[in-house]
Amino acid sequence: MAVVDAPGPGQAALRWTSRARSIAEIEQELSRIWSEVDLTVPDEGAGGRHIAARTSVMNLVVVTRRPEVAERAAATIQALTGRHPSRTLLVIAADPDGPAWIDAQVQAHCVLPREDSPEVCAEMIFLTAGGEAGRHLAALVAPLVVHDLPVTAWWPNQPLFASPQALDLLSTVDRLVVDGSSWSGDGLDRLRALAELAATTRIAVSDFALDRQSRWREAIACIFDDPDFLPYLRYLRRIAVTYATHDEGEPGGTNIVKPIYHVAWLASRLNLRVKAPLAAITGAARGRGRPAPEGRTMIGRGLHATLADGRGDVNVVVRPVASPMPAGTTLRVELLAERRGSELRADVTAEQEVVRVRVWQDGVEALDRQFAAPRRTDVDLLAQAIEASGRDPVAHGALGAAAALVGPAEVSGP
Amino acid sequence: MAGTTTRRRREPVPDRPAQPAPRPKDVPRTIREMRLARESRKRPTPPQPQNVLREGLRLERVPDPSVLVLFGATGDLAHRKVVPALYQLWRTNLLPHEFMLVAIGRRAYDSESFRAEIRSSLEKYSRVLPLDDAAWRMFSERVEYRRLDFGEPDGFDTLARHLDELDEAHGTRGNRLFYLATQPSQFAEIVAQLGRVGLDHERHDAGWRRVVIEKPFGRDLASATKLNRDIGKVFRESQVYRIDHYLGKETVRNLLVFRFGNSLFEPIWNRRYVDHVQITVAESLGIENRGAFYEETGATRDVLQNHLLQLVSLVAMEPPATFQADALRDEKVKVLRAITTDPAAAHEVVRGQYGTGWVAAEAVPGFREEPGVDPQSETETFVAARLSIDDWRWSGVPFYVRTGKRMPKRSTEIAIQFREVPHRLFQNSATDPDPNLLAIRIQPDEGIMLRFGAKVPGLGLDVRSVTMDFTYGSAFSVDSPDAYETLILDALQGDASLFTRADEVEHAWAIVDPIISAWTDGGPPPFPNYEAGSWGPAASDELLARDGRRWRRI
Repeated sequence: MAVVDAPGPGQAALRWTSRARSIAEIEQELSRIWSEVDLTVPDEGAGGRHIAARTSVMNLVVVTRRPEVAERAAATIQALTGRHPSRTLLVIAADPDGPAWIDAQVQAHCVLPREDSPEVCAEMIFLTAGGEAGRHLAALVAPLVVHDLPVTAWWPNQPLFASPQALDLLSTVDRLVVDGSSWSGDGLDRLRALAELAATTRIAVSDFALDRQSRWREAIACIFDDPDFLPYLRYLRRIAVTYATHDEGEPGGTNIVKPIYHVAWLASRLNLRVKAPLAAITGAARGRGRPAPEGRTMIGRGLHATLADGRGDVNVVVRPVASPMPAGTTLRVELLAERRGSELRADVTAEQEVVRVRVWQDGVEALDRQFAAPRRTDVDLLAQAIEASGRDPVAHGALGAAAALVGPAEVSGP
Repeated sequence: MAGTTTRRRREPVPDRPAQPAPRPKDVPRTIREMRLARESRKRPTPPQPQNVLREGLRLERVPDPSVLVLFGATGDLAHRKVVPALYQLWRTNLLPHEFMLVAIGRRAYDSESFRAEIRSSLEKYSRVLPLDDAAWRMFSERVEYRRLDFGEPDGFDTLARHLDELDEAHGTRGNRLFYLATQPSQFAEIVAQLGRVGLDHERHDAGWRRVVIEKPFGRDLASATKLNRDIGKVFRESQVYRIDHYLGKETVRNLLVFRFGNSLFEPIWNRRYVDHVQITVAESLGIENRGAFYEETGATRDVLQNHLLQLVSLVAMEPPATFQADALRDEKVKVLRAITTDPAAAHEVVRGQYGTGWVAAEAVPGFREEPGVDPQSETETFVAARLSIDDWRWSGVPFYVRTGKRMPKRSTEIAIQFREVPHRLFQNSATDPDPNLLAIRIQPDEGIMLRFGAKVPGLGLDVRSVTMDFTYGSAFSVDSPDAYETLILDALQGDASLFTRADEVEHAWAIVDPIISAWTDGGPPPFPNYEAGSWGPAASDELLARDGRRWRRI
């Protein structure tokens, strides 16, 4: 049924909602949205104007097994003011037992970009599939995507990269969006699987865990914008990343995808190869650790690895610190470079909305800069993911380096 | 016909780049001399390494810590455009944390009252409303006002000392962007004072110094050349950023991507396939209480000399070798140098002035009835011209340009009209399809439209024109930044690609000057000669009709 009201510019309004119980019915409802003669907006004196066409941006498929996750995802998509995908399919695979069934709610949301322009609309389909139907995701999705528009799959929470159904679905999409920092355990098994997927298919991958760190990367990159510091970039000798934990260092208890991405990004940009993958720091190595920053309690364990370029080894330390911050949050990135007897030390920290960079050259403070850089929300990150096109070589490089850093064997988290 | 007219060649404008220096006697000439010279030379310096960590990040680089000194801070331009752009850049974290805005004006504000004033302007003119209170609070902490009479040397001495103090207090490291949003008559004076107190000096350890200058840049070739000379006495050309805000518009920037980022269009972008080009910059507004200013300016100086000629040069230029500022501007200058028109010939340039009429269902007064306008005014509010670009690519392809006030609607558009097919194959078709057309809409509804012929469904073989339409709003669904945001950020980053160079400005004046001279030499024009709310005088239509063409209905 058509729902008509007249929102102001920039405000989204629900223009259509209806139910369907088969793919054919959903298709019928979708075509009705754009052909209903009375789907008009009241307009002063003019007798109404027809709602404008759907956007031509992309299809977004959200896959989950839990309705509450689908609701949260829908709320995030709704908050993408003016940046909606053309068609969103929220696919909830319900109870896999019993006969196949489908229940769908078809909606159209419209936004008036400006007072003098026609409305721009996007469709949203909440599709719950039970029984055998829920196990064949690709068969649900394929007939419902808008042809010729790219397809992005957003798989919040715990994606099942290796399952045949998932692979079947992923074979139909152009981009996969995940959040590595939400994965259970230390997240490393899924990180390996994601890297494998990216390396063996043409799918472009966006990981919120990596994208969230862009403010750190901007700050680290800015150090080497300075021509005095740039020559040190190829002479890194140590990378240390400190992250928050709540678990007293239990192996695999804290998701460490984000801290690992910091190292992986640097390694991929600087063409550093992994000489020794991450391994737990043993008692002997532990004693060499630096004191816990700012009075925080150091859990005492962590991971170390060795990277290498043609000039020497780069020691990597990824260490946990007890902190009230969410577990897995990066607290500090430290870099040490040595070039021709001269030393450059950089210390990057983030507090709330500000990232601070301090640099010492041969022990003398040479830079102290702050960047206003608020933490990015899921709405920002999803907007970035759906606007991206093609494979991002930086993201894929970091993902590949992360997998190499983690190594093929099981690595126990701290 | 235009082809039979003897064209008046413009006086050549001297090229800016210096002539090559005479070759010293010891320069090697033979292969042997050159080989020996090379052997005796030290190994060349290796290229400067790149910051590979920048790859894939949002900006090529974060702007350096800096102070933006805004002259004319109490003026309309500062309040409507410059300050809202700075606030927006701050809000989106595109300005450095170590940033200060020093607002300079002659009015008696203190910093607190000035902040209140710009807050109220932002509530009207900010691109994104409502204002973000947290962002505003942090931005406003970085704004201060200083009263300064531009003719008072002591004030500049004090300003120089104060900027040094700001460097100490806020870590702005001596980087300064001077933004001249004042009356054009004050540009030279301010620049001279900046030079006198040494605020132009760039030192390795004391930061960069740049000056942004608003249009109009001169009011004719002589004044523009003098202004360039005055500024050149203080700042090097690489420090000078002349703003034409049209170049910061998203669609104008996209024109470069469209032409040089696609392999489809460039092969047909020439006289062999293009019949003619139409560029329209139409405004539905009148002069909006700027009668005195507009009386001295007119449509030719206000729009043709800058916006329209910039659009012409972007459409007509050859691909630059790189996307570096000077490579781009070199190609634009080549186009300006190749433009010819015969200003004395009435059929090449048409001027107009609006009388009373109706625009958007409202009765509006004629130009001569506007406040601040001479009742006998001869200032043109409309100009249309047929420009020829005498080069290999465009010879024989007319570029029709027009701009006017009080047109039926606000619209800026570039239309590339392609030639008709050489042979009509579908002679039984009930209608002749129009030739292909590519329309690039710059404002409003930014986008690109391509018209082509298609078969009408049915048993016959009727052909009809259909359009493929791309609009930014439906394809990207992302707000475009305001042109001033783009340009100020570029200036802070030292990228001059979208700013006009001294020789560009002078060549543009060299095109416009003879047109204005011809009008000055002639008799009084029959003004008003078009009704407000129409597309200009009848002579404008005749300009194209003589060539068997007509203006596109927009």
